[in-house]
Amino acid sequence: MPHAAVDTVTLTIDGHHLTVPKGTLVIEAARQAGVMVPHFCYHPKLKPDANCRMCLVEVEKMPKLQTACSTPVAEGMVVRTATTVVNEAHKSVLEFILANHPLDCPVCDQGGRCDLQDFSHQYTPTTSRFIEVKRVFPKEYFSPLIETQMNRCVQCLRCVRYCDEVMDVKALAPSGRGTMTEIKSFLHHELDCEFCGGCVQICPVGAITSRLSMYEYRPWMLKRADTVCTYCGDGCQITIQTKDNQLVEVMSAQGAGRNNGDLCARGFFGYHVSTHPDRLRHPLIRRDGVLVQATWEEALELVAETAVRLKLAHGPNAFAGLIAARCTNEDLYLFQKFMRLAIGTNHLDSSARYGQINGVRALRRVQGTHRWTVTFEDIVSADALLLVGTNITETNPITGLKVKEAVKKRQATLLTIDSLEPAVGAISNIANLSSHHFSVHPDRFKPAVLGLIKAVVEDGHVDPTLAQRAPAYLQTISDSVQDLSWPAIEAATGGTPESFREAARTFARSARAVILIGQGVLRTADGYGLATTLLDLLLLTGQHGRPGCGLAPLAEENNDQGAVEMGAVAEYLPGPGDLSDPAARSRVAQLWKEDLPQEPGLTLMPMLERARAGALKAMFIVGENPVGSLPLSAKAKEALQSLEFLACQELFLTETAQLAHVVLPACSYAEKDGTFTNTEGHVQAVRHAIDPIGESRPDWEIFSALSVLMGYPLEYGDAKEILKEIRSLIPDYGRLGPAPTPMRPATEAVDGYLHTGYATDAADRYALSGTGHEARGAGNDGHLTLLIAQSLFHSGKLSTRSKGLLQVQAEGSLTLNPADAARLGLADRDQVRVTNNLGAMTTTVMLAERVPKGLVLFPEHFDQEARRLLTVSTDPVTQVPYYKLTQVTIERL
Amino acid sequence: MPKHEPVLLKNMLQPGYTGSLADYERAGGYQALRTVLGKIPPAEVTHMVIKSGLRGRGGAGFPTGVKWGFLPKDYTGPKYLCCNADESEPGTFKDRQLMERDPHQVLEGIAIACYAIGVETAYIYIRGEFALGAKILEAAIREARAAGYLGTNVLGTGRTMNVWVHRGAGAYICGEETALLESLEGKRGLPRVKPPFPATHGLYNKPTVVNNVETLANLPHIITRGPDWFASIGSPPKSAGTRIFCVSGHVKRPGNYEVPMGITCRELIFEQAGGMRSDKPLKAFIPGGASAPFLTPDHLDVKLDFESVAQAGSMLGSGGVTVMEEGTDMVWAALRLTEFFYHESCGKCSPCREGSSWLVQTLRRIVAGQGRMQDLETLTDLCQNIAGRTVCAFGDAEVSPILSTLKYWRHEYEALIRAAEADGPTELLMPTAARH
Ligand SMILES: Cc1cc2nc3c(=O)[nH]c(=O)nc-3n(C[C@H](O)[C@H](O)[C@H](O)COP(=O)(O)O)c2cc1C
Ligand code: SF4
Ligand code: SF4
Ligand code: SF4
Ligand code: SF4
Ligand code: FES
Repeated sequence: MPHAAVDTVTLTIDGHHLTVPKGTLVIEAARQAGVMVPHFCYHPKLKPDANCRMCLVEVEKMPKLQTACSTPVAEGMVVRTATTVVNEAHKSVLEFILANHPLDCPVCDQGGRCDLQDFSHQYTPTTSRFIEVKRVFPKEYFSPLIETQMNRCVQCLRCVRYCDEVMDVKALAPSGRGTMTEIKSFLHHELDCEFCGGCVQICPVGAITSRLSMYEYRPWMLKRADTVCTYCGDGCQITIQTKDNQLVEVMSAQGAGRNNGDLCARGFFGYHVSTHPDRLRHPLIRRDGVLVQATWEEALELVAETAVRLKLAHGPNAFAGLIAARCTNEDLYLFQKFMRLAIGTNHLDSSARYGQINGVRALRRVQGTHRWTVTFEDIVSADALLLVGTNITETNPITGLKVKEAVKKRQATLLTIDSLEPAVGAISNIANLSSHHFSVHPDRFKPAVLGLIKAVVEDGHVDPTLAQRAPAYLQTISDSVQDLSWPAIEAATGGTPESFREAARTFARSARAVILIGQGVLRTADGYGLATTLLDLLLLTGQHGRPGCGLAPLAEENNDQGAVEMGAVAEYLPGPGDLSDPAARSRVAQLWKEDLPQEPGLTLMPMLERARAGALKAMFIVGENPVGSLPLSAKAKEALQSLEFLACQELFLTETAQLAHVVLPACSYAEKDGTFTNTEGHVQAVRHAIDPIGESRPDWEIFSALSVLMGYPLEYGDAKEILKEIRSLIPDYGRLGPAPTPMRPATEAVDGYLHTGYATDAADRYALSGTGHEARGAGNDGHLTLLIAQSLFHSGKLSTRSKGLLQVQAEGSLTLNPADAARLGLADRDQVRVTNNLGAMTTTVMLAERVPKGLVLFPEHFDQEARRLLTVSTDPVTQVPYYKLTQVTIERL
Repeated sequence: MPKHEPVLLKNMLQPGYTGSLADYERAGGYQALRTVLGKIPPAEVTHMVIKSGLRGRGGAGFPTGVKWGFLPKDYTGPKYLCCNADESEPGTFKDRQLMERDPHQVLEGIAIACYAIGVETAYIYIRGEFALGAKILEAAIREARAAGYLGTNVLGTGRTMNVWVHRGAGAYICGEETALLESLEGKRGLPRVKPPFPATHGLYNKPTVVNNVETLANLPHIITRGPDWFASIGSPPKSAGTRIFCVSGHVKRPGNYEVPMGITCRELIFEQAGGMRSDKPLKAFIPGGASAPFLTPDHLDVKLDFESVAQAGSMLGSGGVTVMEEGTDMVWAALRLTEFFYHESCGKCSPCREGSSWLVQTLRRIVAGQGRMQDLETLTDLCQNIAGRTVCAFGDAEVSPILSTLKYWRHEYEALIRAAEADGPTELLMPTAARH
């Protein structure tokens, strides 16, 4: 739908004439004219509340001074911000605000970057006429991570409004009246919230501060580095502030990055991982069965010599490599180049295999893109948003904020298909904002999606041009969904035909529709097929290819997307280009001036299998921990133990690194330069904030050093040189910074899909039979389905070394519905034994309304024990290992 | 003493009148509703109210029919009527009597307003302390529903008018119309920034009319006896109709007096309320609730209508007339009222929040014999810096006791301060800032 031309208004501010869009607030118009109107309560992210009265200005023809933060511009308006009257007003409001303020700047962490300090400096005399008694609030404990000092509060309510309007958490409230107003958590219990740090960031004074760095610094002592968070695919821009090579705090400036300055708990409080005392500081070499400290020369030579020896003896395909998608693009790129050239094998994979690859391959298959065709901005301006299998608040919190903004501020309609129920809790629950929610068990997303498609077809929402463009495609899908019975869909999902019809109508009629899919789709059996089918939904309703519309798979790790684009997976070369495509191969070979290995590579699961069978001799594992991540039944440990040689590059001595013959200490993101590519395909600069810990080195430097020693020198002066080479293969990497225009679907690819491409698996994708059984893994001996899920407070196992995040969540517990708990005679915090035919674990339980009956959740970050209970199945096409669901029984201890 | 025909208080002045539906019907109640329902087009009813000249009795005196006319015209979604029964202005107690003694008169007014503005849901936001009033209203609503005056099919016309009573939780500020809406929505009662006004963005962001109890109670009479009749009472055109004045303080007969607007203060105090309680002469009076500036004996012949009182430098406000006799300590009186405002400032805006605490502490100090001359300067300054710079009209209200007492009785402040200074420099008394 074409957007109406924006009306503009012309006005004068302090003699500057300017034209701004209608609806602009005077304070913003002034900013554009270079005039700063002093303010406390105003914040561009929040609805104007005009409570501090600091921003009073004179508006011609208005009898009283007006608050610039709440007054919209009007045609011909004449505003004055610096007259005597206005100045006197500013002074007097500030005098009021300072009346009860303690002026304890010397011990306030905000000192030096405080709006109150700055405005006081500007407006107030050095003495005050306030000779009465200041009100004093006794100090109160607030929370482990956030400190309040209510004597400093100027009652601007920014924190409260942020927590409600932006976060939808509503954890804060003013309590008391008049000068006795304090900001508290509801019911005055210890703060229980998302710990996004937003209130800390948005407080204009030092009334809400972080306890992690309390009293440790004065802001002007800090060194700043703008970089990107390492904890999820959203790719938030953060500023790491350091003092003497110590991490002091993380913040994100208003307007910064794709996150617009918003962060989640992981980004704001999780930074201490990099300086954890357990960081590996020296290379380790296994001598007489024990890992002992070694020099870099010894370690690198040992790796290179062994590699050369084994390659001579067994050939390049006796090697395999695995890398974490937390690494930079430069690391990932050089890793695959190292594997493909220095070793000479395509047996390489990355953690994108755990799910991201499903999304990318579905996009490539149907529309020939490897990225989203939408941006975060498109999410915000969507009319309808369909979220499938994503507890977005906990996995991709910032993308979640875009969804919240679309729904709360721009009245988008939200449709959700997820296992969590709408219920109010300490953590905002996206389903609460949904107007069409289908609460289905985690292995039933497919029947729910088929229900939507059936309704689209039956109710005539199909794009009329499709009948001409792709008659056979349309026929096949129409026939398949007509073969599905509503009772069967209802039985599988609990959704009535009417509810699917209403949702389908809303979705199909919306001008801008975006579908977001998360781990519930990408990491659950059928992930690849279901992602493809959701693209069918867009094709059928005519939304596919329309600007602002598209399917957006959510990346879990910070550089999942980069890992695929760098070709750090078996099937893709950098680009990504298909390894099997001779043109793609020759393009890369030309640049590398060397032939590439052609034999298809092994992906993660077959790698482990081959290792176990003794067919693989050596592996390089970089930042990845299959022993700690995969279920016991995947026998990763046995596989790695069967190798003749295992080299690991790591931050910590993980379960996997403990098996290595050589462990090389790598730098964390805080010590590296390079780039990450976020979930929407935005390439962003990573900059080091501290010097490398111990003797650790960036991963790419280690590959480079090894390649030299092995006689295949891949030499680069710094990460920038690698990026330059990446750019010559992928022009998209030529531009860091502002959002690129999103990719457009490639017409030939879409035509190809509509013509024949869809047919290969259409029968499977559109069959109800079979859904919901294979994923039940260990067999139907249990009463409940266990889902290993991601928590908001952690990212993989990495963040479990963050002292900040551990204060919010230090261990795993099993969350279940109160009704199930009652049925099993369980109360909150009870100890339970969880069993199935594979094993058992003990843990404590937590009750939560949002977990549906029949389901129990356990966080993957603490799943050391839980992994005993899981089996693995592998996607027939993409070889993604699925292991998040199983059946268990629970009994009280 | 001139006798004035009561309109709103008429029923309850009848001996034996209980306020029951039967009593109200016997007195001609609900005839007005029958007259309009389905017979007079809603727009015509609004027009009648405009023509009558009825102005709001809640304090601001805005023309009622005009306010109704601000509701968006071609809008079909939900909209609301809120009856403001929060009556918390010190010295004001008329709405309470209207609700407790003749609840159906209020309900009929609400029903007529609902009809005129096309509202199906009305809320009575009643001051929390009015437990009795709430009970009586709820019982009356039940009666009216059973009789078909309220509910889903009002008088068989198919119209829906549901009335709900919502009790406040004890904050004066919730009488301010937008704070009332916030509170009704279940939020903290803080005034909203206007514009937008409730007429377009009110309860749950939907078009809403907020009217005072007394305002609404006038409606049945305007319908039955005609807008011209109403417009002929009082001092038309700007101040038509009667007003219930709540007279309190040092008078012989404190109480509610319904008189045509435009009688003089002298008549109200000396004839209606029986004059001063002792032989001490009148020293000061507030004509319109605690928010209205004090007036002096020189103002006794000011007419009690919107314009005249405003011209005299005060306001008609809520109709609460508080009378003080000679001997009243005016600094103390100002402190009393300022204590109230300090206690009730919601805290939303800095000048009011911080100003009220600053003002009250300074006044307490002066009254306690710890004042200094420059305090008077500071007080005046602070008041001027609060007024006109706040979100709601509370800011203007809270400074009126101080500014008006400083204007007329500055010498009393000065005498207190001079006495303090004569005692020699004393250590500053530190009043405690914490409440209670
Ligand atoms: C601080 C403050 C308190 C108020 N309290 C009341 C009240 O208790 N009752 C009331 O009817 N109006 C009160 N008002 C006025 C209302 O805001 C509003 O103007 C009135 O209810 C509108 O009704 P009316 O037009 O019928 O007078 C108050 C206003 C302010 C600023
Ligand atoms: S940390 Fe975030 S969620 Fe918690 S109170 Fe502050 S703004 Fe709300
Ligand atoms: S704590 Fe900070 S942000 Fe919150 S109201 Fe107080 S000053 Fe404003
Ligand atoms: S974990 Fe994700 S959402 Fe949170 S701060 Fe980091 S990048 Fe942003
Ligand atoms: S003027 Fe006072 S009562 Fe009114 S909103 Fe401001 S602080 Fe609250
Ligand atoms: S910034 Fe405008 S009132 Fe606070």
